[in-house]
Amino acid sequence: MFRHPIFALYGLTLLGFASVADYQGWSLLPVHRTENVPRSVRDNPGAYRSIYSGYSRYSGGK
Amino acid sequence: MAAPPQVVPQVRPLICPNCGGTVNLRGYAQTVNAVCEHCQTILDATTPSLRVIQRFQEKQRIQPLIPLGSRGKLGGVLYEVIGFQQRALEADGETYYWSEYLLLNPFQGYRYLTEYDGHWNSGRTLRLLPQPLSGGKKVQLGPDTFKLFQTAVAQTTYVLGEFPWQVRVGESVKVEDFIWVPRMLSAETSSGEVVWSLAEYVLGTEVWRAFSLPESPPAAKGIYPNQPSPYTGKVASAWKTLLWLLLLWFITVIVVMAMMPNKLVFEHEYSFSGANKAEASFVTPIFELPGRPSNVEVTINTNLDNDWASFNFALINDDTGTAYDFHKEISYYHGRDSDGSYSEGSHAERITLPSMPPGKYYLRVEPDMDDALVPAHSMVYRLGVKRGAPDAFWFIIAFLLLFIPPLWISWRSYSFEQARWQESSGETSSSSSTGGEDD
Repeated sequence: MFRHPIFALYGLTLLGFASVADYQGWSLLPVHRTENVPRSVRDNPGAYRSIYSGYSRYSGGK
Repeated sequence: MAAPPQVVPQVRPLICPNCGGTVNLRGYAQTVNAVCEHCQTILDATTPSLRVIQRFQEKQRIQPLIPLGSRGKLGGVLYEVIGFQQRALEADGETYYWSEYLLLNPFQGYRYLTEYDGHWNSGRTLRLLPQPLSGGKKVQLGPDTFKLFQTAVAQTTYVLGEFPWQVRVGESVKVEDFIWVPRMLSAETSSGEVVWSLAEYVLGTEVWRAFSLPESPPAAKGIYPNQPSPYTGKVASAWKTLLWLLLLWFITVIVVMAMMPNKLVFEHEYSFSGANKAEASFVTPIFELPGRPSNVEVTINTNLDNDWASFNFALINDDTGTAYDFHKEISYYHGRDSDGSYSEGSHAERITLPSMPPGKYYLRVEPDMDDALVPAHSMVYRLGVKRGAPDAFWFIIAFLLLFIPPLWISWRSYSFEQARWQESSGETSSSSSTGGEDD
């Protein structure tokens, strides 16, 4: 079946890694994290400042 | 009655008329020319007095890698080295030398070994006449088609031992080499006579083992015309292995995707107006992300029509206070202009957050639109949060990486054949396969 043991091992390793990575939801792109957000945000959502506040916005189509 | 004594073949010693040294004849009555090992004078072995045919002018001595008189088994047959000659050809202003060893088994006949830059061939002259094809660019021998590799004029530059033919230093023959890896057909034309021989590539280590030679053979340099490719069979088997791995990949994708929870944990519809000057941000009710760490997919479906919207999100863990910020813009425009009708963008978008730990979460949502009153900008949108949505990103990466080994082996094999034919004066390898190899 596999006449290339090294290639087969390489392929099986890739498949194993991909299986774990997709199952666990790993990503190359990190998500910005903020720790210790106060519970008061639930009562006053405007008090929280996202890092994307003031992000340049799309201005229109064609 | 006592058994008769066993007769052991003995060499026939004669005296060189040039230097007085002993000349050993190993080829019995078949020897036509013999070369004195002491003074390199070529002698006529058919005359009892060993008439001098050619005196060796230069005092250069070449030591054969396999000494004359060495015995070894090739193909299960015991041979003795009886003759050695060095030959040369000129190409592109350079002179290339190779060695030929004449072997004899009194019952099986002659055989020869050639050596060039550590590459060895074992062959014998042919009794069959190969059939020329394609105007001499190919020849057919049995079921095999040999391709012309090179045509050159070979000159004998040194001889030692004995030969069953007339041999002279300085004599030239036209040589045509045809290959069908690992075999080589050679045609030597001299004075209108063509002698065909068929040789097969052998490893130097096999020659060394056969003749019990000390140390190790000289390392092979470069690529010889009929040298078997080290990638023989590997290309096809690499692609076969890839097919198996792709089948396994497909099964694994289905299994892993089926194992993903893909559970909708929150969904709600909201509306927004860009003209509303009140604080736009709000939080959703708390929802639970169950199970093990896996991705979270947030989907936004809007009714945008020739408009745009922007969303700042924070997925906040209600227990730990950890917030994950992300942002998405959505726009959908359509219409007709001088190029015809067009549409761009989409009503819906999705964002995938990687490997979120389980717990109780809520979303802080901050939508935004153009705040112009005329025309008024507003939308209705639906937010959805899914736990463990199927995502095959890493499987797609793995799919692409799986192709690297077979592509690499194919490239190496192709490069090997290109290098083989680079020295050819015949047809190039690009037109057809090289020969007897299965790739």
